[in-house]
Amino acid sequence: MLKADKVVVLRNSRGGHVRVVREVYLREQVSCFSSLCQDRCSNEGKVLPGDVTHYVVPDAGVVRDFLEVLEFRELRGIVFTQTACQVVQHTRGRRQYNRLRSLLKDPRHDCVLFCNEFQCYSYCPREKGETQEKWHTRCVYRAAVWYHDHLAGLKPVVMITEDQEAVAEYNRLTSGVYVISTQEYLQSFWPDLQAVQELYISIAQVLQERESEGQEREYAEHLPIEVLEAGIKSGRYIQGTLKVNKHRPQQEAFVQAISSTKSTELSSDVLVWGVRQRNRAVHGDSVVVELLRCGEWRGRIMALTEAEMGAEERIGEEQSQPMPTGKVVGILQRNWRDYVVTFPPWEEVQSQSRNSQRILVIPWDRRIPKIRISTQQAEALQDHRVIVRLDSWESTSLYPNGHCVRVLGKAGKLETEIQTILIENGIHVPAFSEAQLREMPLNSKDNPWTVEASEVAARQDLRATHLVFSIDPQGCEDVDDALSVRMLPGGNRLELGVHIADVTHFVRPGSLTDLEALSRATTYYLADRRYDMLPAVLSADLCSLLGNVDRYAMSVLWELDAKSLSICKVWFGRTLIRSSYQLCYELAQNLLNDEPVEVPELTQVEEVEREKRLKELKTALQQLTQVARHLRTQRDRGGALELEGVEVRAQLDADKNITALVPKQPLEIHETVAECMIYANHWVAHKIQESFPQQALLRHHPPPRQEQFAQLIESAKARGFDIDTRSNKALADSLDRAVDPRDSLINRLLRMMATQAMSNAQYFSTGSCPLEQYYHYGLALNHYTHFTSPIRRYADIIVHRLLTAAIKLDGGLGPNESVATSKELEEIAQQINNKNRAAQQAQKQSTELFQCLYFKDKDPLTDQRCVAEAIIYAIRANGILVFIPRYGVKGAVYLKNRENQVVSVRSDGSCEWQGGMLQRHPDRICTVTPSGTHTFSLFQHITVRISVQALRCHADTLCLEVTSNRPHETVEQESLTAGKGRTELVQEVVRWAEEASQQAEEHDRMPKLSKEEREYQQSKGPNLYCLLQEIRELALLDLSACQGSETCITSA
Amino acid sequence: MAGLELLSDQGYRLDGRKPSELRKIQARMGVFAQADGSAYIEQGNTKALAVVYGPHEVRGSRNKTLHDRAVINCQYSMATFSTAERKRRPHGDRKSSEMSLHLKQTFEAAILTQLYPRSQIDIYVKILQSDGGNYSACVNAATLAVIDAGIPMRDYVCACSAGFVEDTPLVDLCHAEESGSGTALALALLPRGGQIALLQMDARLHQDHLDPLMEAAMTACRSLGQVLDGVVRQHLQEVSVLTGE
Repeated sequence: MLKADKVVVLRNSRGGHVRVVREVYLREQVSCFSSLCQDRCSNEGKVLPGDVTHYVVPDAGVVRDFLEVLEFRELRGIVFTQTACQVVQHTRGRRQYNRLRSLLKDPRHDCVLFCNEFQCYSYCPREKGETQEKWHTRCVYRAAVWYHDHLAGLKPVVMITEDQEAVAEYNRLTSGVYVISTQEYLQSFWPDLQAVQELYISIAQVLQERESEGQEREYAEHLPIEVLEAGIKSGRYIQGTLKVNKHRPQQEAFVQAISSTKSTELSSDVLVWGVRQRNRAVHGDSVVVELLRCGEWRGRIMALTEAEMGAEERIGEEQSQPMPTGKVVGILQRNWRDYVVTFPPWEEVQSQSRNSQRILVIPWDRRIPKIRISTQQAEALQDHRVIVRLDSWESTSLYPNGHCVRVLGKAGKLETEIQTILIENGIHVPAFSEAQLREMPLNSKDNPWTVEASEVAARQDLRATHLVFSIDPQGCEDVDDALSVRMLPGGNRLELGVHIADVTHFVRPGSLTDLEALSRATTYYLADRRYDMLPAVLSADLCSLLGNVDRYAMSVLWELDAKSLSICKVWFGRTLIRSSYQLCYELAQNLLNDEPVEVPELTQVEEVEREKRLKELKTALQQLTQVARHLRTQRDRGGALELEGVEVRAQLDADKNITALVPKQPLEIHETVAECMIYANHWVAHKIQESFPQQALLRHHPPPRQEQFAQLIESAKARGFDIDTRSNKALADSLDRAVDPRDSLINRLLRMMATQAMSNAQYFSTGSCPLEQYYHYGLALNHYTHFTSPIRRYADIIVHRLLTAAIKLDGGLGPNESVATSKELEEIAQQINNKNRAAQQAQKQSTELFQCLYFKDKDPLTDQRCVAEAIIYAIRANGILVFIPRYGVKGAVYLKNRENQVVSVRSDGSCEWQGGMLQRHPDRICTVTPSGTHTFSLFQHITVRISVQALRCHADTLCLEVTSNRPHETVEQESLTAGKGRTELVQEVVRWAEEASQQAEEHDRMPKLSKEEREYQQSKGPNLYCLLQEIRELALLDLSACQGSETCITSA
Repeated sequence: MAGLELLSDQGYRLDGRKPSELRKIQARMGVFAQADGSAYIEQGNTKALAVVYGPHEVRGSRNKTLHDRAVINCQYSMATFSTAERKRRPHGDRKSSEMSLHLKQTFEAAILTQLYPRSQIDIYVKILQSDGGNYSACVNAATLAVIDAGIPMRDYVCACSAGFVEDTPLVDLCHAEESGSGTALALALLPRGGQIALLQMDARLHQDHLDPLMEAAMTACRSLGQVLDGVVRQHLQEVSVLTGE
């Protein structure tokens, strides 16, 4: 039955010495996970490849301190021993251990775990008087020897250690097993990997310095964990996540209490004032705070901060009433990530510190304190952006300690800045690896991809029966949806079909592509480029529903009553389609309007045939429009909000080179396609929720809190509009009414404020949420999910899998691919939500970057393009917030400068600084100067001058200055330049950057990088989707609060 | 080292066993001459001693007597030195009395009590070293002792504990696994007929998981039965050599 030896291990644990006897069972068969295994080990899962030159076994100390070095994918063939893993678990805590575990699970990384302590030949008991470190080293060495013998000496095994004595002791003991120090190993085996060696050196330096730390105490010690837990339970302390105020990182931080603290009736966040009371907590950490006495409470500052331009103030009470204030007494969980920092100029370093190897670097993110790192490259790295990781923050040190990980490049270069944005948002998009591309089906000229016979049999074949067409923006390559509509025989049923690319046929669960797609979660659209979620062979070819080729699809077919358009039957299933027409929006709209058009697919066809087929297509489009109108009215009756309309309009204008200032009706066909997609999403959500009530991935949009609408209602009142926010229907209706015929921008601004008041839509698993919370507020639907864009959203892939499983369940078959449990699904949903937020943030920041680059080399005093019209949309204590429609920029304008001067207006409208004071009213702000009183009121049009404030360590910001309180007058010139549109702004900046980089030949990394990116970019130049995204961004909507608009963009 | 990892990603338990593997078992019968039957068992580091007296007349109060079958009297105790920290009270505490009751129920189901009306059978079990699975060690030791005493039983009674960690049933839990979070269940089985003599579980478990957990425990009990059977046969052989048969 069981052949095991019993060995007794003695251990002491806890305060009192307790002798615990544990047994260990040893066995001969322990899997080695090497493909070279001679002994037929049962190696399931990941195995080490045979094509590496050697295997490396790191010592326990190396794994403990230098795990980051071992995380490099270039280091292949690593064998982690159980001994080392246990050391990590015991000394570095769970977080580090989980990191090691996920590393071991990651199929992209060639490393395995060998359970050496359960192997009877590699096990060694601790000897009397032997120190723990020595014992661990001996265990690891025995494991290395066993590994070498087990593979019959086919591979040399290298053990790396930090212990020089061990090197001397073991190196010559067994031939084929080499023991060397880590540094020597990296130098001799991986001389090309400069980054690894630098990382190693920087960590080693940090370790060295930690030993020689000073003892002066700067901060109070954190309380021990037991005290914290007891305090939280008793309600004395409050637990929460620390959020540092971006605009006042030195002073203000807030802790949002988590709900478990019942005893304290805190309605608001807890303020933590100043660095000392923050007590070494960093933005994002999970902390425990203790409230101060009421007398010591203080309020937040309400004024716009002068020092940081472009800062937008949070909306709050009129005065800064004292709010609960506390101090951090302990940290439950550090939440440190990689930070991008900038090295100070070399002269500054030399002047400020005695020890020029320890440098204070400034993080790009203002919320992060300065980080002290020790490096010898400070001179070479001045003005470079570098990735840094935090190591520790002792109470004796004013700043946290960190170490360099990777150099990004010189600050201010386009490539560096884009990389910075990606890293700061936690977006990791390396090129697709070879192993991932190997999983992809082939489709080349000589070896074209064809439909498999078995799939044809299993799928519904719609190629002959249905007229399928897709409507997309001009030049779109990743077509993930197509439509069909036809009258069923008999004439009283209409069949509407939505066909979505069947991505899950190609992306199997658990495959490398799947894992990569999950970790990306979405395709990232930046202002000038994009990073795809799936490799190009899928996204632009095999999954794209191109015209006149056979493609797999997931289809939803509705049978509608031809008269009343009510639903009779719904069918879901996998299909085989061949799209007949690949239309673009404008073409489809022209067809609908019965205007003469040229359909590219029909140019080769004879006259008579062409007429016939054109008629057929027109009928289909008309039917489609009719159905969509019906669906839209149904949804409107439910209270769907239209917040996105404005943005789409703006985009279209840009696309058609019409000034973006004049809102124009969007093409109806946009709405038609969007409506069909929303409908499909809705029905699929309904279906999967019904089949898997506990584990379906849906998307909900929680109703906003009423108090969030306060600003909207106030502002609308200033113009005499009444906004009713009691329900989504009331809100939609009152927004529709709030139109000023003289100034169409007001409606846009009001809609923007409404959107800002709302929370984000989120993915969730039905098992984790009560039924009432499934509701989608923006779309007014009780179930909603994402189904229609699997090429660029991971959520859709999950939903496709669920739908497939649901169909199988209906057919009486058990789902053969097991459906993810609710808990797993919730984790996936969380990951996708986080990545979506990061994607939006990155996009916003990249757009801001381009705005700054655009204005950077223009002289604000002379260049006409730097003067633009702006509209006031909010009033603050010392300034106003304005929106510039022409560039889509939002920003703050200060009416009071540092010398306490205020803006005064001359009789011709132009402005100058004069001594005076400000008076603030709810709907206007007045400047009182010797020359008179001047009023700036809400929704007033003024003229501002745009300039760029260049910052060395952070992102550049735009700086606005009021030049006149009248609308900008040079209309002709404006329409001329605006005609260029946003697209060209982006292209122009890209071109400059490329020219500059070509001239600067010494910087050879950048062109290479951008070439790579272009390779993975599917369509050249910005397509409509990114433009939509971009314009939406520019045109008012703050993306972090914007949800409604993405549904419309679904159709793109 | 908060939260020990009870089951590693590679499927090893803390002590190097796979989920369905038992600990090493060693047993001897007839360790004391004065008692009618006695046995000693080691399951891993859990060590138990069982002694059986009887059947004999009912001692003490006569009103306990049953007219159609024998009374079974069980007493469970733990040696003061059996745990890592010295135990104050070796028997009579709540846990011990509960355990005594469970043992009694188990053996009433297994011994053919109707053969001995108006008599009493005493089973005394002592845990010498405790490392998880005390109940099962007691039951297994007592079975051997009852057999040693020559009292007829329906079948061996084999007991085994099982726990549920990370969606995997673990059998024959050691102390660390028992005290870690997770559900534990104790099962006493008559292996030949597959009847359950006792099933005890006092933590929460999802209904869907009960069947696999029971199945794992029953498989473990069956293999335990084989081990016990081997012990009995060897003992008989030794005894018959001594008696010269």
